[in-house]
Amino acid sequence: MKKRGKGIACIFYGTGYGNGFPDVSRAYARLLEDGRVEISVGATEVGQGAKTVMVQIAAETLGLLDKDIVLINEDTSKTPDAGTAAASRQTYNTGNAVKIACENLKEKILEDAAKLLGVNTKVGLCMKDGLIYVKSYPSKKVSLKEIAELNKDLQAEGVFTAHTTQMDENGQGAPYWPYTFASCAVEVEVDTETGEVSILRAKHVLDVGRAVNPSLVEGQIDGGFAMGVGYALMEDIGLKDGKMTNGSFEKYIIPTALDIPEIEKVLIEYPEDTAPYGAKGIGEPVMIPVAPAILNAIYDAIGVRFYEIPVTPERVLLALQSKG
Amino acid sequence: MEAIKPKNLEEVLEYKSKYKGDAKIIAGGTDLIIKIRKGEENPKALIDISSLNELKGIRETLEYIEIGPATTFTEICECILLNKNLKGLKDAARSVGSPQIRNRGTVGGNICNASPAADTVPPLLALDSILVIEGKGKKREIYLKDFFKDKGRGELEGDEILTKIKFKNPLKNQGLGFYKLGLRKALAISRLSFAVFLEIDEMNRIEIVRIASGAIGKFPMRELEVEEYLTGRIINENTIEEAETLLERVIFERLKGRQTAKFKSIAAKGVFKKALLNALYLCKGVNDFEKN
Repeated sequence: MKKRGKGIACIFYGTGYGNGFPDVSRAYARLLEDGRVEISVGATEVGQGAKTVMVQIAAETLGLLDKDIVLINEDTSKTPDAGTAAASRQTYNTGNAVKIACENLKEKILEDAAKLLGVNTKVGLCMKDGLIYVKSYPSKKVSLKEIAELNKDLQAEGVFTAHTTQMDENGQGAPYWPYTFASCAVEVEVDTETGEVSILRAKHVLDVGRAVNPSLVEGQIDGGFAMGVGYALMEDIGLKDGKMTNGSFEKYIIPTALDIPEIEKVLIEYPEDTAPYGAKGIGEPVMIPVAPAILNAIYDAIGVRFYEIPVTPERVLLALQSKG
Repeated sequence: MEAIKPKNLEEVLEYKSKYKGDAKIIAGGTDLIIKIRKGEENPKALIDISSLNELKGIRETLEYIEIGPATTFTEICECILLNKNLKGLKDAARSVGSPQIRNRGTVGGNICNASPAADTVPPLLALDSILVIEGKGKKREIYLKDFFKDKGRGELEGDEILTKIKFKNPLKNQGLGFYKLGLRKALAISRLSFAVFLEIDEMNRIEIVRIASGAIGKFPMRELEVEEYLTGRIINENTIEEAETLLERVIFERLKGRQTAKFKSIAAKGVFKKALLNALYLCKGVNDFEKN
């Protein structure tokens, strides 16, 4: 017989290294001769979209288009350290460093522009689309290219140090900032004769602070959801006497597209004050509520509470058998 | 390692008689290449039969369907000669690996490699298939159910190759059902599978039933005790339940002492029932017993 059940799980997750572990990201911004801006940053692209997001943040800060930003990353001979692509920290931590570097560069550009335009202060200068102009007198303007030709050494650094405080001996304190919130709801169908669990539909609600790139966030949700499904229902390294018995993807089962339903996604944008344009890290948070939501849904369907994952057909059938 | 590409079956048999067990037949290579890379196989020669039309394709001859051993799983899935009563065979072929594997892998390889989890073997067993095996100057037929000798070993001499698989084309009141339990919905190695061939009369009496299991013993096999119980009975919820209970006992006995005995004997009931109901649906055109 096939039985259906629904489950929900909610999580919060502190992004960044946290708990006193040093967490510093650095970035350089440099005005190129042709008026474009080069960003050097050690953020590693691992498919999550760091290359896209860093360019977007730089372009937004400098009033430029994405194509006017030249990103250099993943080359440690050229880029300053921005920490690992881990702990869901690149968008928030390194995004902040990129934003600060761009703001610092912008200040230097405006100082030069003020001189060139013959105004006594950079207050009231606007920078947009590669031009700096006096806000109240827009035809009084100079281009980034002109500035670059006169000053070949316009560059700036951005350093961002994240909040990370060690907890006390009782595990109390404020180890992280900020926190990302997520909740996931699923409906499952459990076949009580074969032990198979199918996920029929899913909804994922994510507090992103600000979605720098909504398509990337949705992609992260799809991927994180699939990982959560694998974690809950399939993945098992099969540890035996300290050795992995499922040491290849032949035996270590991860989901395929057929195992994943359409996921309804809701992005909640409540900008985080300390974040670049409000954007928080979402890489790991998208995955965390998935397995508990599935386990809750299985409980709702068949009345069995699983305390061990993955919930394979074998575990389902044996649990139903002992439940009677 | 020598690679040989014969022009016809005659040449294949010639090479086979020369090299015997030192030459391996390669068609799709989805099993063999992996074994060679792992160092588990190191034949002196590979004889490539993948482009020999004599060994490919599906034909209808009088009451039989004949399948060439170098026919791919994709070709089985897409073949219009295999009518809807043979849905179980197509379902099994469709459940093999991924599209890439189905495009390369062949039904002959599935049989000759004699894996316990070979997906298309249970349906071919339930169809009571006959294998045609040839060597230079010799030709014999053997029932598929008598072919397997051990895990990974079929009854094939060093100079012989499988040249044909044939079974009787099902009639209107016959049907072949299949169900496979894997650990995910695609690209899954079978944990357990069943194929059921069924013929029932107007009174719902079982005239013929052949049941084959996969991934339970050393090789796919017929479940004769359950067949015997069901033959001649009216199919209804009671008989199905009795058959399930008998099957559970038989399988538990077979796997006794193994860690998976309990799980597989319970799961076998559910997987068998689904295959049986799929077959019944094909015989009747309706499904009276599924209560989902």
